[in-house]
Amino acid sequence: MAQQDKTVQSAATKPGAAVHEDTTAKWFIISAVVYFLIVGIIAIVIAAKFVWPEMLGTVAMLSYGRLRPLHVNGMLFGWLLAADMGLTFYLVPRLCGVKLWSEKLGVATALLWNVIILGAVVSLLMGWNQGWEYAELPMPLDVLVVVAWIMFGINIFGTIATRKYQQMYVSLWYTMGTILWTAFVYLTGNFATLFTTGVNQANLNWMYVHNAVGLIFTPVGLALAYYFIPKAGNIPLYSHKLSMIGFWSLAFFYVWTGAHHMLHGPISQWLQTISIAFSLMLIMPVWSVVYNLFATMKGNWPRTRDNVPLKFLMSGVVFYLLTCFQGPMHSLRSVNAIVSKTDWIPGHAHMAVLGAFSFFAIAGTLYVIPRMFNVALHSDALANWSYWLFMVGGIGFFVTLWLGGFWQGWQWNNPSIPFIDTVKALKPIWIVRFFSGIFMFAGIVAFLYNIIATVVDSAGAKPEVQGA
Amino acid sequence: MFKKSGDNASLFAGLAVVFFMIGGLLTTVVPPMVDKSWGKPFENSDPTKGPVGKLEPYTELELKGRAIYVREGCWYCHTQQTRTLLADTKRSGWRGVDSPVSTPDEFVYDSPHLFGTKRTGPDLSRVGGKYDTQWHRTHFKNPRDLVPGSIMPPYPWIANNEQEFTAIVAYLQKLGRAKHWRPDNDFEK
Repeated sequence: MAQQDKTVQSAATKPGAAVHEDTTAKWFIISAVVYFLIVGIIAIVIAAKFVWPEMLGTVAMLSYGRLRPLHVNGMLFGWLLAADMGLTFYLVPRLCGVKLWSEKLGVATALLWNVIILGAVVSLLMGWNQGWEYAELPMPLDVLVVVAWIMFGINIFGTIATRKYQQMYVSLWYTMGTILWTAFVYLTGNFATLFTTGVNQANLNWMYVHNAVGLIFTPVGLALAYYFIPKAGNIPLYSHKLSMIGFWSLAFFYVWTGAHHMLHGPISQWLQTISIAFSLMLIMPVWSVVYNLFATMKGNWPRTRDNVPLKFLMSGVVFYLLTCFQGPMHSLRSVNAIVSKTDWIPGHAHMAVLGAFSFFAIAGTLYVIPRMFNVALHSDALANWSYWLFMVGGIGFFVTLWLGGFWQGWQWNNPSIPFIDTVKALKPIWIVRFFSGIFMFAGIVAFLYNIIATVVDSAGAKPEVQGA
Repeated sequence: MFKKSGDNASLFAGLAVVFFMIGGLLTTVVPPMVDKSWGKPFENSDPTKGPVGKLEPYTELELKGRAIYVREGCWYCHTQQTRTLLADTKRSGWRGVDSPVSTPDEFVYDSPHLFGTKRTGPDLSRVGGKYDTQWHRTHFKNPRDLVPGSIMPPYPWIANNEQEFTAIVAYLQKLGRAKHWRPDNDFEK
């Protein structure tokens, strides 16, 4: 345990340690931050369409049904996964004490990833949509994603295979888990589905959708949290053993729960029950991670006051706890009968992907950009502003959608209320959601400006040495 | 074993895949083998066993309409499942008759499946035969002309394209019709 903590604390500061080029990490992270802004505009537009349904309504390419998949895919793959991959390219060589296995292969991966995202923008606007949630991209792009993922995997595993430090820190496990599980999860959701129909196909689709979050964004997000919380706070991790329990229980329990997306629906009752049982067991991997990270912070909370990355990270951990408490609760049949299919669900999904995992990625970006470019962050005050804009917008968004969704679910369960009245009732909720979106978008603008300005600063100004 | 895997990357990777595969295979490959109704089209001629009827494959025109439904992302806001909830059977019902719940055997010809996850507009699993062609034309042009307060986007490029309009209406009129659940058979065309 002590050995581990030393590893993460001193990985890159050791004299004579490998000099990292970080070209790949820079490419991935900067393009991700730019997509964050572009897709943020789409997010605002679709939020506005709930309030003003006629807005941009007569142009097919700008209709809700075309922009929503662009928002979801753009945020998931253009921003979050690209940022996660970039940060992985940063932390894996440092945790292994060697250079990245191949910087050339890494840059090629980053370029291919950008080709995929631009291809996705074109095809989704054109309506070339496969009709599966999270797997909307047409087949040629799916194939490119697989190629890019193999390139990514070779590079990361190659680095780990040539590592100098024998013991693997928990972030490395989560990274390896992400690469391996994603391979199977992605193939199931995008290729195995082709050979099935109806409920069978839906079951594979939900296995993918659920595990896109549970076995892609969760493990890579936790790899970041486990790396950056001790780094940014300069605190050793509380327990190596606890992180082991969290990892193996995640590996085992998560994949069973896909069918909870079809509770009460046309799918076998026994499969629904299995998915409920395993959804409840997810409390185990989640609480062991959250406890570990909270215990790490014990006595050190004042450090979050003027350490913006740490602030993002620990808020992300709180959102992670909340979203992962909601998940098992929704899977109970009685709760599901109220919240399923309502606006509660986007409230829940945004807290996971934005509140938890994007917060981790933002924190990582704010931490690594000054170090990679060897210059101070352009403005700590601006970073603090972006934190509070995300926080106010995020909480406004989550809380109003939960309240609205619950209310909507109760109305649906009273069939004497006509459906259209349940739509009209939600208008105030959607107005608040739109304005919360404006806050979050302002947060993105401040974040992007800060990152770009830091990079620009590094081109001109005196190098200001940071701790590694 | 787990302790050792902390140092040994190959052992670690192998274990991580095995752990994942147990649940992965048991929840994806096994269920359709156990539950045959997932793959067998609905057919019932015995009224004591519930509504009678037979699931027919989609016609070419209906498939074309279905492709438009997929292209425009209708499935982001409309689910296609009458769940085992009393309120769902009432809401999917029509003129005082409750709808039967959706069963796996009604969706055997569906690819991509369109069960949906979000119900911003009403569920469409039993919409077939509820509204006539003229209603759909007006509704696609501007939903608010027929349903004040609706937030569905207008679809003039479908309503004004005779081929596309005919196709999507053919598809919508087919939805949920495998089961003959309307005693008077009072379906609109």
